[in-house]
Amino acid sequence: MVRGVADPWWNDDDQLLAAVGDALRAAGETPRRLVEIGKAAFVWRDIESDLAALTYDSAASEPDPRLVGALRGTESATLRAMTFVASRLTIELELTSEALLGQVTPFEPGEVDLWPAHGAPRPVPIDEVGWFAVRPLPTGPFRLHVRTGAGSVLTDWITL
Amino acid sequence: MRDDPSVVTLVERARANDRQAWSTIVERYAPLVWAICRRYRLSDADADDIAATVWLRLVENLDTIRQPAALPGWLVRTTGHECTRALRSMARVVPLDDHQPVPEEASRSAESWLLVEERRLVLRTAFGGIPLNCQQLLSMLFHDPPIPYAVIGAELDMKIGAIGPTRKRCLDKLRQHPALAAFLDS
Repeated sequence: MVRGVADPWWNDDDQLLAAVGDALRAAGETPRRLVEIGKAAFVWRDIESDLAALTYDSAASEPDPRLVGALRGTESATLRAMTFVASRLTIELELTSEALLGQVTPFEPGEVDLWPAHGAPRPVPIDEVGWFAVRPLPTGPFRLHVRTGAGSVLTDWITL
Repeated sequence: MRDDPSVVTLVERARANDRQAWSTIVERYAPLVWAICRRYRLSDADADDIAATVWLRLVENLDTIRQPAALPGWLVRTTGHECTRALRSMARVVPLDDHQPVPEEASRSAESWLLVEERRLVLRTAFGGIPLNCQQLLSMLFHDPPIPYAVIGAELDMKIGAIGPTRKRCLDKLRQHPALAAFLDS
């Protein structure tokens, strides 16, 4: 078989075979957990959720002294405060050294699922006045899926 | 990234809540997401977090993606954006040292790097579309270290003399796959 000077790689059987091998080996190096995380993400299409927008984050601005201990007169100092707003409810978060405190408005009981970047979600109860506490503090990015009588809301990724 | 007709089908089916279509999308593009994270020299843990963000963004945006065929490009842009964000937040906390990624280097030969990844993607898609017996034969043929024809023949119940011609036929099938044809046309 006569080969031209600039024969494309795909016309040469040896080169094509080598290229396919390289492509499949590259895929073989991909950690399975990347794939597992992706497949698990599909659950979000089944959840009838509102996406809550972060409207306030103390970490992005000057600390407001009024925020210190604003929720329930906590003993621990507030390290960070965030507010998420969705059409049906609002979530105010307060971070202390040992817990993530939350207040859902309107004040109704329910449940919040803390979704880590990968792995199973952690359920946390919301009491009759819309208050919840997450202990211990999550490590790594997480999202909160808040469900009360008022609605079902998902926050964006939060990293403490 | 170029048009791949089956991407459109996969996205449409995933939009219709076909979980299998979504899983195929993930399997197909996970290597690309991983390659981008590696190029930014991020840790495995960071890559996990970034991938989680990217996949969830995609799930959220499935219904609003105007051109499903542009999905690979969207994944490249979104993953790159998340990688840059991760680097910036690290820079705030950790002093820059030698094994921090150098984003300028990452973008300097970005085009050629991306072309390599795109080619790998297309080849894998085409490989997945050829008959199973071809996949088996080619897998044994590109194995490193090489597998002797005698062993291949025994394993696949083929005459040694038939391996060469079958190899050629299988590679021709690969060349004719629409995904590869579309890639080579552009």
